[in-house]
Amino acid sequence: MPGVTLISPPPHHDIYSIEDMAQLIFDLKNCNPAADITVKLVSEVGVGTVAAGVSKGHAERVIISGYDGGTGASPISSIKHAGMPWEIGLAETQQTLVLNDLRGRIIVQTDGQLRTARDVIIATMLGAEEYAFATVALVTVGCIMMRKCHLNTCPVGVATQDAALRGKFAGKPEHVVNYFTFLAEEIRVLMAELGVRSLEELVGQTQYLAMDDAIKHWKSKGLDYSKMLVKPAVGPEVAIRRIQGQDHGLDKQLDHKLINLAAPALERKEKVTIELPIKNSNRTFGTMLSGMVAKLHGREGLPEGTIDVRLTGIAGQSFGAFLAPGVNLYLEGEANDYVGKGMAGGRISIRPDATATFAWHENSIVGNTVLYGATGGEAFFAGKAGERFCVRNSGVTAVVEGTGDHGCEYMTGGRVIVLGRTGRNFAAGMSGGFAYVLDEDSRFRRRCNPAMVDLEQMSATDEDAEWLKQIIAKHYEETASPRAAEILADWENQLTRFVRVFPHEYRRVLTEMAAAAEAKKEAIHG
Amino acid sequence: MGDPRGFMKYSRQDKTIQPVEQRIKNHDEHYNYPTEEEVKTQAARCMDCGVPFCMTGCPLGNLIPEWNDLVYRGQWKQALQALHATNNFPEFTGRVCPAPCEASCVLGINEPQVTIKLHEVSIVNKGFEEGWIVAQPPKSRSGKTVAIIGGGPAGLACAQQLNRAGHKVTVYEKSDRAGGLLMYGIPHYKLRKEKVQRRVDLLAEEGIEFRYSCEVGKDVAFAELKEQYDAVVFASGAEEPRDLPVAGRDLDGIHFAMEFLPQQNRANWGDSDLAVLHPKQQLINAEGKKVIVIGGGDTGSDCIGTSLRQGATSVVNFELLGQPPVERAENNPWPQWSRILRISSSVEELEALGGDVEYEIMTTRFIGSEGKVTGLETVKVDWSTGKPEKVAGSEKIWEADLVLLAMGYLGPRPQAISQAACETDPRSNIKTDAKTRMTSVEGVFAAGDCRRGQSLVVWAISEGREVARCVDEYLTGKPSLLPKVRLETFQY
Repeated sequence: MPGVTLISPPPHHDIYSIEDMAQLIFDLKNCNPAADITVKLVSEVGVGTVAAGVSKGHAERVIISGYDGGTGASPISSIKHAGMPWEIGLAETQQTLVLNDLRGRIIVQTDGQLRTARDVIIATMLGAEEYAFATVALVTVGCIMMRKCHLNTCPVGVATQDAALRGKFAGKPEHVVNYFTFLAEEIRVLMAELGVRSLEELVGQTQYLAMDDAIKHWKSKGLDYSKMLVKPAVGPEVAIRRIQGQDHGLDKQLDHKLINLAAPALERKEKVTIELPIKNSNRTFGTMLSGMVAKLHGREGLPEGTIDVRLTGIAGQSFGAFLAPGVNLYLEGEANDYVGKGMAGGRISIRPDATATFAWHENSIVGNTVLYGATGGEAFFAGKAGERFCVRNSGVTAVVEGTGDHGCEYMTGGRVIVLGRTGRNFAAGMSGGFAYVLDEDSRFRRRCNPAMVDLEQMSATDEDAEWLKQIIAKHYEETASPRAAEILADWENQLTRFVRVFPHEYRRVLTEMAAAAEAKKEAIHG
Repeated sequence: MGDPRGFMKYSRQDKTIQPVEQRIKNHDEHYNYPTEEEVKTQAARCMDCGVPFCMTGCPLGNLIPEWNDLVYRGQWKQALQALHATNNFPEFTGRVCPAPCEASCVLGINEPQVTIKLHEVSIVNKGFEEGWIVAQPPKSRSGKTVAIIGGGPAGLACAQQLNRAGHKVTVYEKSDRAGGLLMYGIPHYKLRKEKVQRRVDLLAEEGIEFRYSCEVGKDVAFAELKEQYDAVVFASGAEEPRDLPVAGRDLDGIHFAMEFLPQQNRANWGDSDLAVLHPKQQLINAEGKKVIVIGGGDTGSDCIGTSLRQGATSVVNFELLGQPPVERAENNPWPQWSRILRISSSVEELEALGGDVEYEIMTTRFIGSEGKVTGLETVKVDWSTGKPEKVAGSEKIWEADLVLLAMGYLGPRPQAISQAACETDPRSNIKTDAKTRMTSVEGVFAAGDCRRGQSLVVWAISEGREVARCVDEYLTGKPSLLPKVRLETFQY
């Protein structure tokens, strides 16, 4: 929504370990099996270990990014103080990957103010086989490094949406072509001097490199670069550049069956109902199907409820990740972490097995980082969620019966209803959307982070009171939650115990939009 | 950059001089500055670029985006501080600088540039009005002494910097007032002489000693200076004018620009000995005369404006080169100095009064009778081969009874430096070490036009500041605390 702050660059609250990363790579690969998954890492000490994890996590490409790049829109602290030279990170990455025999299945790319053929040749010798150029390519088409990319005032029309300013763009594709032609030409010159026939022959060949003693500085006398130029002693069976692809194990995915069963819906938009058992080794369920829906039907997906999937059992991680509009997942049982990650539409309903003897609302039904970065759809969870529920949500409507810490962090849109206790630090950095929390012990205010939000007690006269009741009724309908039944039975009293979490900024934007709509109406009638 | 979209909202307004018919009537300063509010609006056009090319265009590395913003916010005193941080004499450059900063202004890529020079002069005008600019004598003295030969902008900037570092500075000036070309070269209408004197008085108040009418090499021997002072700085300018050695050159009525211009400047002071700076003590006045000015640069322009104000019956200006393009040529891209047609105030006056600038023209001989010049003969030249080729049949006779030669300067006057026995470069300028600015003689330095050849006031100040830092390091044997001039500036 225009006017609501986004936190940029986004913190990746779905990645707290290398396993999280592997999971994200797997999710993305499911979403689009034809795409190469790339992980970009900042060059710093220890980056080799992370890169090894990335390779093990089945990414197709790892980018080692140097410290002196950075988009003009990024905060000055990031531009100035993040990372180290790409040379250092790249050398470490190459050595680590080769020593662990992980190099052969991943492409290593580097970037960070690469300019000349010399940069490319050195990068190749240190272990890169791909190179990214951003600033220099922009400069060839007229970028003058204004560092105003975030203000929409780029005076040469490179980074702006403003029509008048875009008119000033004087760049031509030929300028970029020219630059890269010269670059390639010079690379050939340098390769000829070295006596190599192709760049592949140069990858990781650090024996061609030596530190130039002539550029020594008194401050550098304690520095030893020799470790950067080490070529790991490995046998011929160990690849030092990428020679094969990654095996993601996608062929074992339950989604293949799902896609087959959903064929009438995918092809002819016919309603289908699919019943399947699920177990916790079925990770990223529904994602490949969603990718197919998006591929065939675009952004709008399918009409609501076209594919109705009814599951029993325990779902693995990333259940319903990147779910597309038109797909409803109904699960009797429970789910793990990352349910509905990046979900774009559809519905996810999860309730405990009918034979469960515990109180639903006192027990976890889904894991951590649920609905992370969701942009649309609905979710109903008849039980508690873990930490970081609905972080960076920008459009989903979700009902849950309790959350862990950091709920609704960095949320920019959507509506979240919590029919129970939240953890601490609720709504930190929340700039948009609404949250409704049933505050039974009147202590919610102490668990909420009030820096960016107002807390308001609900009353029967509120505009959204009726809507709230409807959604809770729908929650009951979907999950048969006893908790929802209780609340609805005593609605008048329960309503006043709800606290509305209303971000300051969101209020300002909504007020402005209402005023603008009013003015427009008057202009038409007046 | 108070207003990120200012450059899209406002257009450039840079009419800062009076209309021709008003200004041509007298020799007084011809500026007509906009109001404070208008200047603030203009300052809103600065985009505070991530890479401020204006600063690299400026030989002083002026903190342009910073004070543009302060002007926009009306924080004039802070703006003045920021301006003085890199520029000793903004009241001079704010009036007479051709503003290379504006040529490299990022907005200039596709829009009229920011009015940087207008902001500069507005800040310093405000500073003097409010009495913020006062003498800043050093708190303590180092006990070292420095002699500066020449009181032009390079010498004065060097003097102020060294004096602030605590050294005792003496400026040797061969004429009776300090300022060099600022005082006697540039006409009053472009830079009011009281403004030069005001600054010289401030320098004197700060503790700088001035020895007037004291030419080193004539009135005082160089050896004496070398003996007496811990360091000596040449800032004696590039005074040797380029001559036109064609037939009839020795006729009466043919003068170098710098024989002519000082007389009017002295007249504006009310001096009676106007001809004192003329080698033959002749009085020159253009009143009632047909004037031909040879040379289309700044000096030529000053000769035109002065002649018109004196009441010349006609003025014609000759330029050997072709007319520059109105817009940048392909081989002259931003952010280089733009080699485009610039109509100076004087040429604007000339054209308004029916005069003209003749391009691609060469004078082949002077014509005279009874020892006095009555005209000259010219021929058109063709530059298409890269060298001037005379065009056959284009000869023309022009009537003239005053011819002013303004064809540039070759270098320092040799007699001024011969005593010092400094090495010179092939262009007859004083040779110095690029970093230490020291000449081949230990303890003797050089700055300004005598080192780099004829150039701008802003370069003179830049040179003066840089040599001061070098002299300070030489005198103290320690890294100088005086600010370093940003030398990564584009060398056009």
